[in-house]
Amino acid sequence: MKLNKEERIASLVLIVGSLAYLGVGFLIPMPTLKQQLGPDAFPKAIGLGLLILSCIYAFQVFKSRELGRAKAEEIEKRAAIIGAEEKVEGRADLKTMGFMLSVMVLYAFLFEHLGYAISTFLAFMAGCLYLDRRHWVRDTVIAIIASFVLQYIFTVYLRVKLPAGPLSALGL
Amino acid sequence: MEFWQNVTLGFGVAATPMNLVLCLVGVFLGTIIGVLPGIGPMTGVALLIPLTFSLTPTAAIILMAGIYYGAMYGGSTTSILVNTPGESASVVTCIDGYEMAKKGRAGPALAAAAIGSFVAGTFATLMLMIFGPWIAKIALNFGPPEFFSLMVAGLTVVTSLAGRSIVKALLSTFFGLAIATMGIDMQSGVPRFTFGNPELMDGLEFLTVAIGLFALCEVLVNLANMKEAAQERLSIKGGLWMSKEDWKRFIPSCIRGTLAGFFVGGIAGAGAAVASFVSYGLEKKVSKYRDELGKGAIEGVTGPESANNAAAGGALIHLLCLGIPGSGTTAIMLGALLMLGLQPGPLLFQQQPQFVWGLIASMYIGNVMLLVLNLPLVGMWVKLLDVPLYLLLNFIILFSFLGVYTMNNSAQDLFIMVGFGVIGYLMKRVDIPASPIILGIVLGKLMEEKMRQSLVISDGSMMIFLTRPISLFLLLMAVVSITNPYWKDIGRFFRRRFSAR
Repeated sequence: MKLNKEERIASLVLIVGSLAYLGVGFLIPMPTLKQQLGPDAFPKAIGLGLLILSCIYAFQVFKSRELGRAKAEEIEKRAAIIGAEEKVEGRADLKTMGFMLSVMVLYAFLFEHLGYAISTFLAFMAGCLYLDRRHWVRDTVIAIIASFVLQYIFTVYLRVKLPAGPLSALGL
Repeated sequence: MEFWQNVTLGFGVAATPMNLVLCLVGVFLGTIIGVLPGIGPMTGVALLIPLTFSLTPTAAIILMAGIYYGAMYGGSTTSILVNTPGESASVVTCIDGYEMAKKGRAGPALAAAAIGSFVAGTFATLMLMIFGPWIAKIALNFGPPEFFSLMVAGLTVVTSLAGRSIVKALLSTFFGLAIATMGIDMQSGVPRFTFGNPELMDGLEFLTVAIGLFALCEVLVNLANMKEAAQERLSIKGGLWMSKEDWKRFIPSCIRGTLAGFFVGGIAGAGAAVASFVSYGLEKKVSKYRDELGKGAIEGVTGPESANNAAAGGALIHLLCLGIPGSGTTAIMLGALLMLGLQPGPLLFQQQPQFVWGLIASMYIGNVMLLVLNLPLVGMWVKLLDVPLYLLLNFIILFSFLGVYTMNNSAQDLFIMVGFGVIGYLMKRVDIPASPIILGIVLGKLMEEKMRQSLVISDGSMMIFLTRPISLFLLLMAVVSITNPYWKDIGRFFRRRFSAR
């Protein structure tokens, strides 16, 4: 039942999203040279397709009846044969996800400001310490290798420039 | 004569020390990816693409093909020893492989999987050599309308096999096509969906989306449920080699699996997972030992493993000769090749023979390397499962950031990637498959271009797609594949009508 609620929200979000896409598609400026198919035609067709599909999806979700057991089994059997992705169901650990997602956003923000090595070290340690605190010495060593040593290898041996941040003073 | 010239050229390219090392690195990394649960071939190839940026296109595809093959091989090891498939094409292998391991016959099971994969991989490569240039020659006669219809057919085949619901899979494909329309329109120079942001002028980089949708999404899925399931791991008792009786049963099932896999993957364009199931079904029907299937029969390992490798090889035919990816993983490879400035398709055989034949030769070499690597090192591969999940997740985050940033040196891409990670997770919650998005992004721009070219030819009439026979055939194929899940219902409906009368 809960999953159905999630699907209902998803279908509405998709309708709004496709309407927004279609709307922006109508605002695409026309080039001065006339073409058989302008730059707005393909986006408009895709937007329309998205809108129709979202509406069908919403209709399916809101009108859904309990699938018969045989039908559900048939769908699952087909899913197994085509190697469909597994369903992600059940309660999600929102606290852990939220924390790690914040770490990722902060990591993205600090990547250029603090440089690759420092931001990676901080993000890696934050992730490790939050998820498992038992092996912090080992994890610290791994974090140093993955950040400072990797930056050194990338910059000096592979000639790939990574942002150095304050470490630029050291010539990295 | 020309054939042998090409083969010599190919081995000349592939056997350079640098390319041999890359092939070895590729199959090694690929096997690691295949073994590690949670990192499928798609995530693996996407994460490792940044490694290819400094390489020539030939070296890059050799590395990527090695990773792709290695991942297909590696997946079977964990299926047999841990009952956990490393990727979806090894799901069936679990059934008999794990049963064999429980009976203390893990060695022969692993050997059957490895040798079966080797035979099938080599066969698929041979077919690519023989039929590749021929298919490319036919495709050279294709005009823009045929290419447009071919892309529509390619998209629909993959979409129809992507998930439980066709509507959801189509939504995903259209979402990918919508992303592909972002950026400056190449024909008119008009910016579309850029919202005044100069970094969006080139559109969204497909790799940013792919890494977000697969790698980061996988991290989030694991974080949402961190309680690790205890895994019962079986050790390898006894020798690795198969007995005479095993060989006797191995050979016919290997031939059946290879042919079935090649037909399903190379000709019908369905993926490796379908191929492995088709082969298992075939074994159940025709094998002399069908009663033993499910209880640890060697046919249950050989057939599906041969089939999934033959299909993986077959999918490369579509990619190289037609420029159409047959699966999510090959779509990512196509995207990577486009980034390297190569356009896979029929012209490739003529314009870049050293690239195509070098790749083909390296596939032979890679297959041999995998056989040599896989069996003696099996103990080491299994140890990989000891890597704690939280460390693995942190490493995936790190490599995702590193890969996406080094592509354009843009911090904005990092935020976009994280955003797609969240979108990927939400899509998983409501069971919308993600792989069609990648296909949509990779093919979208090209599709639009071909459509516009076609309409210039026909002076604006859409009928051009229906009046040209090849194009019409391809479009009909698209209709057939998209309606395939409903055939049973339609059949039932007509039967009921018929019997009511």
